[in-house]
Amino acid sequence: MRRLPVYFLLDTSGSMYGEPIQALNNALSGMINALRSDPQALDSLWISIITFDREVNEICPLTELAMFQLPEISCPQSGPTHTGKALEILYEKVQVDIIKSTPSQKGDWKPLFFLFTDGKPNDLLVYRNMIPKIKSLNFGAIICCAAGALADDSLLKELTNDVVHLDNADTTTLKQFFKWVSETIEQGSKSQGTGESVALPPPPSEITLVI
Amino acid sequence: MKKRLESYITKILANENISFSDKNKIVLEDFVADEDNISSMQIIIGQQEELKTRIMSKLRIFEIQNQHIQIPNATFGKEYNVKLDFVKLGLNDIVLTEFEGLEDKNLIYDNETETISGVPNQSGDFKIKFKYRIKGELDDSKLNEKILSFIINANPKDLWKDLPSDQQDKYWKENNVFTFEKLGYKNIAVASKRGRSHANVGSFRDDDFSFKHFDQTGWSVVAVSDGAGSAKYSRKGSELACAKVINYFENELTSELSTKFDTLISSYHQELNNGNTAVLNNVDKSEEADFKDENDVEVLEVKEEKVSIQSEISKFIYSNLGACAKAVYNCLEEFSIKNEFSIKDLHSTLIFSLFKKYDFGYVVLSFGVGDCPIGILNKDFTEFKLMNWLDVGDFGGGTRFITMPEIFVSDKFSTRFGFKIIDDFSYLILMTDGIYDAKFVVEANLEKLEKWNEFLADLGGHNDDKIKVDFEKRSIETAESLSKWMDFWSPGNHDDRTLALIY
Repeated sequence: MRRLPVYFLLDTSGSMYGEPIQALNNALSGMINALRSDPQALDSLWISIITFDREVNEICPLTELAMFQLPEISCPQSGPTHTGKALEILYEKVQVDIIKSTPSQKGDWKPLFFLFTDGKPNDLLVYRNMIPKIKSLNFGAIICCAAGALADDSLLKELTNDVVHLDNADTTTLKQFFKWVSETIEQGSKSQGTGESVALPPPPSEITLVI
Repeated sequence: MKKRLESYITKILANENISFSDKNKIVLEDFVADEDNISSMQIIIGQQEELKTRIMSKLRIFEIQNQHIQIPNATFGKEYNVKLDFVKLGLNDIVLTEFEGLEDKNLIYDNETETISGVPNQSGDFKIKFKYRIKGELDDSKLNEKILSFIINANPKDLWKDLPSDQQDKYWKENNVFTFEKLGYKNIAVASKRGRSHANVGSFRDDDFSFKHFDQTGWSVVAVSDGAGSAKYSRKGSELACAKVINYFENELTSELSTKFDTLISSYHQELNNGNTAVLNNVDKSEEADFKDENDVEVLEVKEEKVSIQSEISKFIYSNLGACAKAVYNCLEEFSIKNEFSIKDLHSTLIFSLFKKYDFGYVVLSFGVGDCPIGILNKDFTEFKLMNWLDVGDFGGGTRFITMPEIFVSDKFSTRFGFKIIDDFSYLILMTDGIYDAKFVVEANLEKLEKWNEFLADLGGHNDDKIKVDFEKRSIETAESLSKWMDFWSPGNHDDRTLALIY
């Protein structure tokens, strides 16, 4: 059976402490529940969650949706945002995880990658270094979400054209965002056949597409 | 014990700021030698150990209560049998376990084998009670309780919706179609069915097919096309592509042209009988026709000087089937321009096959772009041939379409044609990936005779639902039973399905 692997890179740096991390947990759990009721997703979706602050942690290795269990995501009270280091880990994981098509093996659908951050990379050099490598992985879509005033849209733009901005990271906004993410994922599992990028569904009003 | 009692007493008195001097030390010595005092000490030690054990268990229980414990997810209606690995969870000090809240879900827990088993009869996100006792707690103590979340996934089969497609849409097409007809000396049963993934969201069937027998020349043609899931109007693309194939040969495969081929093939067969040439697998690559010029496909640049019969045949196939493919491209391009959208919106794969009966057997020709196979089996099912290779990329969905101009200028273009002479065939089969993905899974299996025979057995009723395609009826009922057969369940394979069987 063909898998649709989806990677989430989530910012858990100090600025997420408190309400934002709670909101993120709620929104993620809502998204997983929504996906669980989609038969297509239940058949093909595999999810991985990697968090990054000073440390990078693969808190959920790539797991099929039916077996997926969302752990509580926590964050330290303060500390830097090592986005670059997170991309390094992602690069390693994707190379190991993804099954390519061969005459005797069914390949995965092109994986999707969502990055959620409320700040900017503190390891800018590593971050910029990783950008061409991440692009070479042939993701079906790379979608970056910048939440709040401190998130830097232009740096994310260097990674992908698909950058969205949330004015803040409260529960309502994040719920809307992750609902849109699950729609995008469902779109991804549908775009069988073209080998082209996933067309993004129109975002709700809380989300601004950064042009 | 004396020493212990002595240090204990000294500590108590030190707390009261009393210490022994050389003078009164004798009192302490006598005191710790007294049997009664020693036994009091023993009681204290016992009590102390007891308290320590108790507080340690309380701390441990606190730790367990805060530990994230989750048991593997179950699925509604699917056999569940999970042995809980307490050691792996770091819970090797647990001595007794029970669960509350499983029975009503048709699951039982056996605390001897530490296994939960059964077939869940509900789905949802449940809270169940995990009860346990740890080492050190009294045998009659009340069990500790921890609430665990337990996920029972819905059965994906129950989640699929069957929403109607919009009949007002300008490119609407029927969700399910099937038909049966005589095709020259053979019969064709064909069915095309909207996939569950499309039914679930009320979108359209993207697959299509067409076929026709030309009495005048004796040729039959069958085409199958799969519109790309993500291309907006691919349902129209596949429909136009199939229609154009028929239309092309109707106009271009004249009696004159057909006679030319008849002459070639007779000479070729003669040569074969004399043992000169092996059966062609693909069209000879040295025959490079130039399809780069869209309006002038008739111009052929034959690079090889020496023209053998074999290469004449290659040339014939290449120029006629190739020109048909190009005509399909042109037709789709024209349609997209006229309607002011990109030809990409019509992305469709295309396979087609032509066949004709001669006195020495059947000649079968084919063309294919995309990931839909054409297979042919001989009369006694001992030989088969896969007529085309499939376009598959590194990733799922990395296929090619008839709507991509680059396929016509690629070096591989000449290998997209198939040619086969066969005494007679039991089945000529054209299918879209909705059938192939589920029944053959990978390309390598298309090369295996046993897989084709398994596939035929499956059509004959060797399947979970015991649904059989009634080939013997040779009527619309055959196609109807084929359509029913095509409802088979295959996890992860919910694309449109189209299957054409010529027999």
